[in-house]
Amino acid sequence: MDDAPRAAEASAPAARGTERLFDAASPGASKSPLVVVDDLHVSFERGGQQVNALRGVSFELQPGEILGLVGESGSGKSVLALTLLGLLPERPRPVITGSALVSGTDMVTANREQARLVRKQHLGAVFQDPMTSLNPTMRIGKQVIEAAGSTQEAVRLLDAVGLPDPASRLRSYPHELSGGLRQRVMIAMAVADSPALVIADEPTTALDVTVQAQILELLGTLRDELGTSFILVTHDLGVAAQVADRIAVLYGGRLAEVGPSADLFGAPLHPYATGLLRSRLVLRTDRSRPIVTLPGEPPDPRNHPPGCPFSPRCEHHSGECDVALPPLETVTATGEIAPSPAGSAMHQVACVRLGRFSTGHAAAIDERAEPWGPVASASRGRNPAVLVHGVHKRFTIGTGLRKKHLLALRGVDLSLNEGEAIALVGESGCGKSTLLRSIAGLQMVDEGEIEFGKGGRPQMVFQDAGASLTPWLTVGEQIGERLRSEGLRRQPRDARVLEALTLVGLPAEVAKARPAQLSGGQRQRVALARATVVPPEVLLCDEPTSALDVSLAATVLNLIGRLRRELGVAILFVTHDLAAARMVGDRIAVMYLGRIVEIGDADELCSAPIHPYTKALLDTVPEVGRVHVRLKGEPANPIDPPNGCAFHPRCPSAEPTCATSPVSLDPVEGASGRRVACPIALRLRTPITGDLNTAGVMSARDDSGRR
Amino acid sequence: MAVAEAFIPSAPRRGTARIGGARRIVGRASIAERVGFALLAVLVLAAIFAPLIAPYNPITPSGLPFTSPLHGGHLMGTDEVGFDIFSRVLYGLRTSLVGAVLVVTSGVIIGGLIGLVAGVAGGWVDTVLMRFTDLFLALPGPVLAIAFVAALGPSGFHTLLAVAIVWWPFYARIMRGEIRALAARPHLEAATLAGAGPFRRAFRHLLPGATSAIVVTASLDVGNLVLTLAGLSFLGLGAPAPAPELGAMAARGLQYLLQEWWVPVMPAIVVFLLTLASNLSGDGLNATMSDS
Amino acid sequence: MIKFVVKRLLSMVVILLMLTAIVFLLQKLSHINPAHAYLGANASQAAVNRETHILGYDRPFIAQYFHYVSGLLRGNLEVSLRTRHPVSTDIVAFLPATVELAVSGLFLAMVLGAVFGLISAARFRGAGAFRMLLMSFASAPVFLLSLLGILVLSGNLHWLPGTGDTSYTNAPTGPTGIIVIDGLVHGQFAVAWDGVWHLILPALVVALGPAVSIGRVLRGSLEASMLSDFARTARAKGLKERTVVLHHALRNSVSAALSMTGLQVGLMFAGVVVVETIFAWPGIGLYVDQSIPQADFPAIAGVTLVLGVGYVIINAIVDILQAVVDPRVALV
Repeated sequence: MDDAPRAAEASAPAARGTERLFDAASPGASKSPLVVVDDLHVSFERGGQQVNALRGVSFELQPGEILGLVGESGSGKSVLALTLLGLLPERPRPVITGSALVSGTDMVTANREQARLVRKQHLGAVFQDPMTSLNPTMRIGKQVIEAAGSTQEAVRLLDAVGLPDPASRLRSYPHELSGGLRQRVMIAMAVADSPALVIADEPTTALDVTVQAQILELLGTLRDELGTSFILVTHDLGVAAQVADRIAVLYGGRLAEVGPSADLFGAPLHPYATGLLRSRLVLRTDRSRPIVTLPGEPPDPRNHPPGCPFSPRCEHHSGECDVALPPLETVTATGEIAPSPAGSAMHQVACVRLGRFSTGHAAAIDERAEPWGPVASASRGRNPAVLVHGVHKRFTIGTGLRKKHLLALRGVDLSLNEGEAIALVGESGCGKSTLLRSIAGLQMVDEGEIEFGKGGRPQMVFQDAGASLTPWLTVGEQIGERLRSEGLRRQPRDARVLEALTLVGLPAEVAKARPAQLSGGQRQRVALARATVVPPEVLLCDEPTSALDVSLAATVLNLIGRLRRELGVAILFVTHDLAAARMVGDRIAVMYLGRIVEIGDADELCSAPIHPYTKALLDTVPEVGRVHVRLKGEPANPIDPPNGCAFHPRCPSAEPTCATSPVSLDPVEGASGRRVACPIALRLRTPITGDLNTAGVMSARDDSGRR
Repeated sequence: MAVAEAFIPSAPRRGTARIGGARRIVGRASIAERVGFALLAVLVLAAIFAPLIAPYNPITPSGLPFTSPLHGGHLMGTDEVGFDIFSRVLYGLRTSLVGAVLVVTSGVIIGGLIGLVAGVAGGWVDTVLMRFTDLFLALPGPVLAIAFVAALGPSGFHTLLAVAIVWWPFYARIMRGEIRALAARPHLEAATLAGAGPFRRAFRHLLPGATSAIVVTASLDVGNLVLTLAGLSFLGLGAPAPAPELGAMAARGLQYLLQEWWVPVMPAIVVFLLTLASNLSGDGLNATMSDS
Repeated sequence: MIKFVVKRLLSMVVILLMLTAIVFLLQKLSHINPAHAYLGANASQAAVNRETHILGYDRPFIAQYFHYVSGLLRGNLEVSLRTRHPVSTDIVAFLPATVELAVSGLFLAMVLGAVFGLISAARFRGAGAFRMLLMSFASAPVFLLSLLGILVLSGNLHWLPGTGDTSYTNAPTGPTGIIVIDGLVHGQFAVAWDGVWHLILPALVVALGPAVSIGRVLRGSLEASMLSDFARTARAKGLKERTVVLHHALRNSVSAALSMTGLQVGLMFAGVVVVETIFAWPGIGLYVDQSIPQADFPAIAGVTLVLGVGYVIINAIVDILQAVVDPRVALV
């Protein structure tokens, strides 16, 4: 947290000087815990079935501490957050036992008014979607004043959370602000009146990666300034590790492991935490073989096994796991169970078999996974499967005098070879999805050409697999739809559908199911089965994993990798996550505001980024112990992109000429196939150094196996 | 490598509710809604079997004028001519129910088709069709219906025609809205990429998703139509006397209200019961189809 | 915002043109030869032909329509076949009573709708019975409510008058034609009070159905708002539940209720016609009811136009109100 105050200075006007933004409460002065949760159970009835969301959770939180609460869907993390706030929905009526003391009040037994007073005096909350969480019909100012008490205080808070020009923003409505600014407004309301605890439920999930980094840093700064405790609820262990002092991992409504961030993120002990960390992608992950994944799916809170909830997915499980719920026990640094708890720095694990298997994190390389085979040989060639040349696309927004043009693509050239995989990376508004949809033929381009090789129409899998399936048609009918044009009769068609399902690892019964009966991971597999039942030459993937839980996302990435190699299809993979891009793509193309700013070999680009924007994106991939350089601002509006290099307003190394002279995607000397749209970076290019060089070394070795 | 996941069937989720058996719908309804279903069933049966149930011919005098209810074998009494009100009310019920259902059906078909075409085609077709629909919606339908019937001349058929003409835009709007919302889902694009043609897309990938909303809307609308048709009939815009129409019966009995109250009130109560039964059933259908 | 208002008013002009076109077409359909009607039943064919030419009914269709619209703009609504007065004169005489009834009915519907919506959104003992009662109100035809109202409140209990808009035969006439206002203007408070007394029952009967519809929409969107993310944010701030409802949820729900109000005005107008007939309320509804048996199409067309214009104006006001309440509406 050494660099924390920097952001505050950057966001506050220079005139402020050394004045403290808040009356600092001294963290750690009081030793009594702020939050004491003891054996908390929450269940409710949904659709006639009992949902056991929390099943005996106990933990404490010290004043000034940041706790990262990590879990996948169905883990109960949001229910826990809402219980602490006393805001669980009243219908279906929850059944709560145990206690959850917040600043001395038990939020379980408190009546409405008591709970409200606790929220007013001691609590703040930040929710996931800043668009829906702010009242759309009320001006920002009024909403902040409701929490802050006065206009003056509201302006001070908005200033402190880094909202530019707060006094004039008071009259804005939420829809007039960008996502990142809205989330800053939410945070300003949450920290109004200096609460003892702020509960942030997935505060960065809906935001762009560079903005996410800014918001996380802001949380850390506010803790340092205010002494406020934070509970950061997230599905991403990496996000938690960036700011949290301690991390608690929830699984199946139980705490699986609790411990200091560095311990948990560096050397987790519980098999689930280990598995979660392994399936998280970092820039060091071995590309030459499939990602090590957790088998199975996240637990169904309607139907928990009697023993350890993780047992059905655990590689170390044995009979004793299924006898009873494993208690959360304190372990020492050597991995032994300690007799007594030892303060907030203690490390607790709920696993009865702990010590009877090796818990080493084993880095990211797991030798048990077989390396990928070569890409199906016949299709791998030098001929382009898709050739994109000078493509422009603009959308018209509004009518009449208010008519504006959103420039989604501003001259894109790209060539995808047969059997090749390219990952397109960028933030919202960069045009990556527009490019993909243009190639799919789902929309016309305004200028330029898109040519295909010998193959026919490309196929596509979508971000939201559930929404990409027609709800009332069976899976079999939807997969079989592509076979209708081949004039196949019913029986051979059914056989082909079955084949496609088997290829993606789904049982035959799925053919008769409707999408709503499937889990999220199964739906994405069905989407892949439909796309590959007649293998296309090109498969377009539009963030197919971003809506999935971490462990499922890794499984789907592996499946895409396998389909690619077995069927020899070329892949164009759109993502906002460079680590995922590196796993899938042979090459990576980084896009910013409708243009490709850098393209090159995946490993080279990740280990030695040249464009300042690529560098900034790489920096958003969380790694413990790395000093992160935050990019300022948010992606500019594609309705009115800046002149010259569109990135120059945010660029740390911008020069005056960047704002005026147009940039072109120029080849890089000494690196074949590498192109960068930044003359300054090319001029200043120095040999690769720095903390990312491990990735470079590793990739050099990977390449031998791959080509 | 890929692990075959256990296939766990679970309850269908929101948006996939289909019209199930009547038993399922009744099973999930509240008590009031069940009463509504029962009442509607009784009224529909009474309307269907009116010729069998009715004790007298509705358009020949069957007793002394102004016989009060429950006297002289007249369940609801007789009117100023001596017609048996119960028999007339049964036939009036028939006319009301058939009229309302006909208008709703025509609205669903005409409006639904226009909305479907607009929603599927998009672009200028959508703009033209919806501008036209909106113009209709911007005018007071019931008032225009009065003018329509007055211009064409009062008759049962003209009334239905007039109301049907002003009623379809509502369904066009709803259908178009549903279709546009469905068409915005990636599943339509996925179907396009899978090679589904425009007709298959419209009828297999879009229309089934809009049916539940349309069915619920239509069922909630039957009550409105019963009231509107009865209102027009009350104003003398239905079949000419002595045809047994509930609204007209109430209107003609108006002058006897303070002495022979049953003459205008009995038919009015039947309109009320039919509307109430339709509304309660519509609510029940709505509740079961939206929250499964 | 100003742009939105201008745009909304421009679209109003288009809608009104559509209204005139429909009424014009209906007139063509109505089999009534205005020349014949104008001259009376005994006129010779030659006289009718001459009159047809003078009135312009042998000109091309479009020309006739322009002639018709320009006549409308000059206040020419043709001549009633029944009263033999210009329809415009008749409407001027009958309109004030209708405005009185419709405006107070609309106001009452909005107030009752808000009350119904707020009450039924709250959970209390007997909420189910209350909803059932409202459902019954909404299901009752206007004429049943009127009949029962007259029978019970007026006939049996003698609480409220059951016919007309005043008991005074020498009530002041003018300047507005609305009894209550004219009574106040002339300082005759007894007349004004009597007017209010006469207004209560018909206005209530007209308002009940729309009020329940408005209330149901308000309840539905209030419930949705109370479960919304922004309501959760408001609660997380520690605001009182009352503040969450009144400051956050209500404002986001009003828009839907306003839409429903606009739609209900159409049904309410039909109700006004029926109620005026039953209560012998001297408005254009009574006028049109008397015109229907005589097939007096000019009168019916005139009333249709007036009610249509009223509907269009009210809906424009509703849309503008919506934009005031919810800033996102003006963006569309």
